[in-house]
Amino acid sequence: MNKRSRLLIVLVVVLLCGYFLYPTIKWYGFVPQQTKELATGSNVQIKEYARGQASRDLRDLKELVASDANAALPSQYSFLKESAKATYKATKRSVPKNWTVQALLGGFYSEQALFDAIESYYRTSLLNTKALGNKALQLGLDLRGGMSILLEADTAAYEAKKGSSASASEINTAIRQDIEILENRIDQFGVSEPVIRLQGNDQILIEIPGAADPERVNSFLRGKGSLVFKMVDTDLTAELDAYYKANPSEVYTDTGALKQPAFLPAGKIAAGYYVSDDYGIDELERYVVINEEVGLDGTHLESATTGTDGITGRPVVNFHLDNLGGDIFYKLTSTNVGKTLAVVMDGKVKAMATINEGIRNSVQISGFNAAEANDLAIVLRTAALPIELIVSSQQAVGATLGEDAVAIGMKAIILGFALVVLIMFAYYNVSGLVADLALLLNLFIMLSVLSAFNFTVTLTSIAGLILTLGMAVDTNVIIYERIKEERRAGKSDIAAIKAGFDKAFWTVMDANITTIIAALVLSQLGSSSVKGFANTLAIGIVSSVFTALFVSHLIFDAAITDREGKKLLISWRKN
Amino acid sequence: MLKNDIPVIKLRWAAWGLAILLLAGGLLAYILFGGFNLGVDFESGLSQRIRIAPVGIEVTYDGTQDVVLSISSTALSIEMRGDAGVKVTSLRFADYPSAADLVTALNAMSGITATAVDGSLKSSTLLSGYGFPATLGESAVKLNFQGSKGTSIDEVRKALDVIGNAKVQTVGSVESSTFQIRFGIKDGSTQASLEDEVKGALAAYFGSGNVVVLQSDYIGPKFSKNLVSSSVLAIAVAMGLILIYVWFRFRFAYAISSLVTLTHDVLAMLTMITLLRMEFSSTTIAALLTIIGYSLNNTIVIFDRVRENMEINKNATLASQIDKAVTQSMSRTVMSALTTLLAIVPLAIFASGDIRLFSISMIFGLVFGTYSSNFLAPTLFYWISEAQDKSKKKKTT
Repeated sequence: MNKRSRLLIVLVVVLLCGYFLYPTIKWYGFVPQQTKELATGSNVQIKEYARGQASRDLRDLKELVASDANAALPSQYSFLKESAKATYKATKRSVPKNWTVQALLGGFYSEQALFDAIESYYRTSLLNTKALGNKALQLGLDLRGGMSILLEADTAAYEAKKGSSASASEINTAIRQDIEILENRIDQFGVSEPVIRLQGNDQILIEIPGAADPERVNSFLRGKGSLVFKMVDTDLTAELDAYYKANPSEVYTDTGALKQPAFLPAGKIAAGYYVSDDYGIDELERYVVINEEVGLDGTHLESATTGTDGITGRPVVNFHLDNLGGDIFYKLTSTNVGKTLAVVMDGKVKAMATINEGIRNSVQISGFNAAEANDLAIVLRTAALPIELIVSSQQAVGATLGEDAVAIGMKAIILGFALVVLIMFAYYNVSGLVADLALLLNLFIMLSVLSAFNFTVTLTSIAGLILTLGMAVDTNVIIYERIKEERRAGKSDIAAIKAGFDKAFWTVMDANITTIIAALVLSQLGSSSVKGFANTLAIGIVSSVFTALFVSHLIFDAAITDREGKKLLISWRKN
Repeated sequence: MLKNDIPVIKLRWAAWGLAILLLAGGLLAYILFGGFNLGVDFESGLSQRIRIAPVGIEVTYDGTQDVVLSISSTALSIEMRGDAGVKVTSLRFADYPSAADLVTALNAMSGITATAVDGSLKSSTLLSGYGFPATLGESAVKLNFQGSKGTSIDEVRKALDVIGNAKVQTVGSVESSTFQIRFGIKDGSTQASLEDEVKGALAAYFGSGNVVVLQSDYIGPKFSKNLVSSSVLAIAVAMGLILIYVWFRFRFAYAISSLVTLTHDVLAMLTMITLLRMEFSSTTIAALLTIIGYSLNNTIVIFDRVRENMEINKNATLASQIDKAVTQSMSRTVMSALTTLLAIVPLAIFASGDIRLFSISMIFGLVFGTYSSNFLAPTLFYWISEAQDKSKKKKTT
């Protein structure tokens, strides 16, 4: 291969790695701490923040226009220009040259549209930052602090309840439903978002970084979502709709909660009807007025499934109530025929249905698409997990304990790295610097591959990193010692370099292939902490072979072999 | 460059004698100490690191924002998250030296009420543990301070007597009042019930809130069993495949020698872990794996040289070939070991907890790994080759 194409390959690899490492660099280097803290909040907190900001901005804009309509638009609102411009164009009006407050407001159909635009601006920018943070290389729980819980399906209890033995696939289905339910409970959990994933066939691994308040974790695992059925007041709902439309800035309090308008009589409350949007946030569909009094408590729910209506073929949700619940529900539905019933979860209306007749234990509701039906079934099931879970292991590291350890550990690693770089230079002269360069490149490649695969950096992966960096140095050492040996045997610099790389090739390959065999086996069979080690090691071996045999070789060729008379500096002594 | 070759083969009996002596010592220690000092990963049960420390401040919050209190080694921070974004206020201990000062500063924040239980306690002794960063609310969050008087291990044992079969160890100095407590799983007990039981017993003896849980690990019986079996299986399969590769690339004598050497490295490290009563945990497994990788690498490099020398000069004796190969590789061996040591020693000195444990195990492993690949693997290879030659000669005659 000629040098140009070799250089090209190196450049492509570096660029590719840079691309994968970009989110990590941006997140740790360029996102302000303030924004990071906001973005690591739960989606609900982000939403509250966005709404609060929008309410305030809207109020400020209205005040501005009232005091001086022709004031120049303050720069913090310039993000609104784009969507205002679009409206001007859509309505075939000329786009204003000077953006005054008045001109900006003219670019929105209604106050609500303006509110939405501001909210969406804050929300999107934070959600993007959050997505960036998720792509960045993160520290594992053992270093960052947090809690990891391994839950196991209680198969025995499940079979006892069912009365017969359960197949593995049945357990698997049930546990997948459990995961869906747990994911739905995340919203209530607050601060940082836990990772929930299936492990093996019947285990769930939950990892909660940072604040690991065991009380809250337990309530999250066991907590029955506060699910209730309440009656909807249709007349007041219409009135509320009109009121909010007329006064968009009166909808939310500064904390982003729904404001209760003064005209609602006692016993009636305004609530939002929410549908999950593309962001995974409960998106407000509209507002309804519901009775404060609980029609039926969710604890009476026994099961909920989705199905299709035999006649219309439309999706329906079936759920079963226990006997007491059936009685209550019959009383409720038979006295409210023709009215609307709302399923309320944590104060949010999740579904509404019209009552056609009095219903007892077995309930079927329809009137939505398949996805909505599925969502509702999950909401209803949240009252109870399909299969109970037992804690198999629970490990917690105090967040600050981890933080201090990491800070000191990082310093120690950097110190060690610096010492290695120095000794390579001290022993191998300029060639040592080439090895150092290869080492740095190796570190860069490893971090970017780890980041590309979304691995977290745990203690064991740091172990793998250290071993690999050690091996990368070693690969260079093997080659250099060989070159020196060849030179001592009387070869010229150029011949020694060629012989050194050629003879060291199989030594390096054998040493690395045996190690990668071990790494691959461990990454398949090991427990999770061993896997972290093995993955890092496997990546590191490939990249260290690449940097030593390919990159260093290229540098030597470019610096010595192809430049007649250039002296090889591989030692401070003569030989 | 060394003038004369290192007489590796001559030293073979001494080299193996030393190794066997060490391993025998390890076996003896293993029997004497009654096995490894198993970490919680391998022994099912509940393990907690607790600290007996008096409550100095109680904090409540009454307001609409999400307020989180966290404690670092230099400051107490309050993070208020609301519609205005996140506002973090750090009260540095240097500026607020006593608990009373912290209380005054906390009370100045809107919605926060702090009461001093003991205002004279020093801020710098504020402790953070399980449950921190804490979300403030109506129920009081208790802030513990390092007490002035130490608690004896007997008091902790007495407190836990009600539960039975507790293992208690002191961590650090007596003044720090920090203990590692461990319980096996009783029939029918779950993680939550065990935790509650421990909490209740400690609160009853030391007073509610006066115990800080620094770390809490619960390992179910099935989990610990899985961890052991999966690790053992993985190492066995990996070694088997390496045997096949080395056999294929070199010869059987090389393969079996390198595997025996690896086994020696693992056993030697286990010996050190037993002798020094270091905890055997997932971290130890990581260190073991690292050393296996490192030592294997070393051994292969030397074997590669032996093979190459034998091809170049077919007339020299095997013993001299081996001596020469080890000597030729020596400067590389020293450089590699030195650079790896340089990377690890700072970690062993400055880092804490698991990372430190890992680094110390690694340093031992590095020494054993280097020793075995230079002295044990080549000599074993020599013996096997000689034996093979003899049996070949017998067959031909």
